[in-house]
Amino acid sequence: MAQYHISKKQLKAEAISELHEVSVTENYFQTQWLIWSFSASFRGKPNLLDMGSLMIKPIQRVMKYPLLLCELRNSTPPSHPDYRALDDAFAAVKDINVNINELKRRKDLVLKYKKNDEDESLKDKLSKLNIHSISKKSKRVTNHLKILTRGESQVKDNTFNREEKLFRALEKTVRLCVKNISLCLQHIQDAMPLALQSVMDLQEISYNKDDEMGYSETLSNALNSCHDFAPHLQRLILTPLSALLSLFPGPHKLIQKRYDKLLDCNSYLQRSAGEESDLAKKEYEALNAQLVEELQAFNQAARKILLNCLCSFITLLRDLMLVAQQAYSTLVPVPLLVSSISEIQNQVLEEVQNLNCVKENSATFIERKLSFEKKKPVQILPEMPRQTDIHRSKLLSTYSAEELYQAKRKCNATQEYDINLLEGELVAVIEQKDPLGSTSRWLVDTGNVKGYVYSSFLKPYNPAKMQKVDTENRFCDDDFENISLFIFYAVHAFQARSDHELSLQEYQRVHILRFCDLSGNKEWWLAEAQGQKGYVPANYLGKMTYA
Amino acid sequence: MSWIPFKIGQPKKQIVPKTVERDFEREYGKLQQLEEQTRKLQKDMKKSADAELAMSKSAVKISLDLLSNPLCEQDQDLLSMVTALDTAMKRMDAFNQEKVNQIQKTVIEPLKKFGSVFPSLNMAVKRREQALQDYRRLQAKVEKYEEKEKTGPVLAKLHQAREELRPVREDFEAKNRQLLEEMPRFYGSRLDYFQPSFESLIRAQVVYYSEMHKIFGDLTQQLDQPGHSDEQRERENEAKLSWGQRWPWFTCRPFAMNDSS
Repeated sequence: MAQYHISKKQLKAEAISELHEVSVTENYFQTQWLIWSFSASFRGKPNLLDMGSLMIKPIQRVMKYPLLLCELRNSTPPSHPDYRALDDAFAAVKDINVNINELKRRKDLVLKYKKNDEDESLKDKLSKLNIHSISKKSKRVTNHLKILTRGESQVKDNTFNREEKLFRALEKTVRLCVKNISLCLQHIQDAMPLALQSVMDLQEISYNKDDEMGYSETLSNALNSCHDFAPHLQRLILTPLSALLSLFPGPHKLIQKRYDKLLDCNSYLQRSAGEESDLAKKEYEALNAQLVEELQAFNQAARKILLNCLCSFITLLRDLMLVAQQAYSTLVPVPLLVSSISEIQNQVLEEVQNLNCVKENSATFIERKLSFEKKKPVQILPEMPRQTDIHRSKLLSTYSAEELYQAKRKCNATQEYDINLLEGELVAVIEQKDPLGSTSRWLVDTGNVKGYVYSSFLKPYNPAKMQKVDTENRFCDDDFENISLFIFYAVHAFQARSDHELSLQEYQRVHILRFCDLSGNKEWWLAEAQGQKGYVPANYLGKMTYA
Repeated sequence: MSWIPFKIGQPKKQIVPKTVERDFEREYGKLQQLEEQTRKLQKDMKKSADAELAMSKSAVKISLDLLSNPLCEQDQDLLSMVTALDTAMKRMDAFNQEKVNQIQKTVIEPLKKFGSVFPSLNMAVKRREQALQDYRRLQAKVEKYEEKEKTGPVLAKLHQAREELRPVREDFEAKNRQLLEEMPRFYGSRLDYFQPSFESLIRAQVVYYSEMHKIFGDLTQQLDQPGHSDEQRERENEAKLSWGQRWPWFTCRPFAMNDSS
């Protein structure tokens, strides 16, 4: 409490000396009057010389208290009941002095560096260089490197670090905000008038000049509101944020200085305590405490300003949207569906296209006609009549089992009288040759149509066995066609292990009947050699082409 | 085309009456103006669409940068505010994109299509002009022969010239008639054609802006302290800024700081 009491007095003194800065005349005159009336009560006293000596009185008195109390204590016997109280009072008063001193140190440091910051020129900087400062700086650099390489410094303050981080983050945020919001404003200023103008232009060609002129007023109002938006935004958001941004560099120097003091302190910690190290420690702590307080206050203020600006931004946007909505709302008579729009327009355009003058003179007549036709469904090739169960049952009843074949895969008609077949479709073979006598093309009946297909596409229809129509079968069939091209031979000898398999000697030539076994396994091929048939492993076989 | 050096001569009588010519010029003039308008409008609408997209993209950037800042990590209030803002901006972008697509489909495309008719029209007019020139030329020839003495060869030539003239005249008159009939129709068709586009454009904008208004209205409700108006915020900002400008602040002063906090 005593501390506060003293501070107030001291600072009142300072406030009066600050009068030179405050240009409010009323304040000035009021305080002048107060001082005058105060001093008038002292009139005649000999020790009152001027304002200065009057001001210094509290300070002198504060410094006298410890001395007075000390004397008092020394002359009191320790057994006296008041001794305790005196002791405490002495300690308290000493504390007061120390506090005031530290406070003053803080201020002096800050002011010193502030002044340096403002007034320094290159010449001044150079003149400050001397052995002492150079050695100081080099010591600091070494310490800094030590911290960088070894990690944490011994002297540190977490609160400060936190505040500093916040400070830097705020700076970056505010800077980005200013940039982004300016950019956004730019775009809004570009986009909205352009949109409104386009609407007005479109309106012009959509309606005759005589009717519905009232619209243009609402739109020009909207344009004006757009023009208002920018100054508002500037005033409420960009100006404060820019001003805030310009405040950030202020503390930078001081933060740097604090770090220097921290390094000094660090370097002294290793050595024994002395006057220098005490001073360094005191200076560091003064700066640290000062900055922590200041940064905390500043960060809070900056954050509040930022939040306020963001809120204002959102509000402004909301109002802008409202204005635009109202402007456009006055124009809409009846909303139309999108689909009906294109129908109407296509219709109109077709009429225009059909105007003779346009039709006959169109350079890309055909092209355009096609592109403007209402979308027709893509012409599918005439659906091939697929085989139905009726057809299959007809076939089954009409033809005997040997004549029935099944399409192994999809066959496309290539020649005249060929027919298309889908995989698995049933056909009955009428003739196993074609008009030219080739036995590879057969005349078949699908129950629906009759035509020719290649026999290699057909396999005997066996309803009993499971007809696995899968890719493996198809793969077999592909190779089937190459049968005339390749002869296979056994790369290794193979010993049959059962009746189904065929023994092979090395380099024995075989004729492959099927490239997969009954279950579709491609690993085993049905081969024929020397009149015998059997399955052989496919990887034992190699291709041989006729030279 | 009256500077052609070897012109046969202009016909004595005006083959196309002035009124017809005037009508033609007027109608064609209107159509030329319409062509100009559609072309300009198409360009402007494209620019406007691009500008609108740029706007919403930059708005999203604002909130994105705020969100990616380490500032929000410790500060819960700020984080929630910025997240809400970010959501709003992203929705704005989405709606904007949709609106632009809509406009593209219902306004810009039709404009393009309508504009593509004009080359044919211009070609037709050019052909009519050519036919007119031919007509003029042959008419002059006929008149020249008509003025000469009616001798045998002259009469034969006259007859021939008249024969030549007839199809050309018919052709020109057909073209002229066709154009005079169809140009007004073309011009009139623009009303029916563009009104739906106009309505669609307006509707798209209305829907977009009312949606935006709602989004930002909700956002202000959610974030703002009740009772805070723009003026209040402005005052608060100014107070803090003027405090901040007096660096160093010496916050050890008990009465120095912002009172409004």
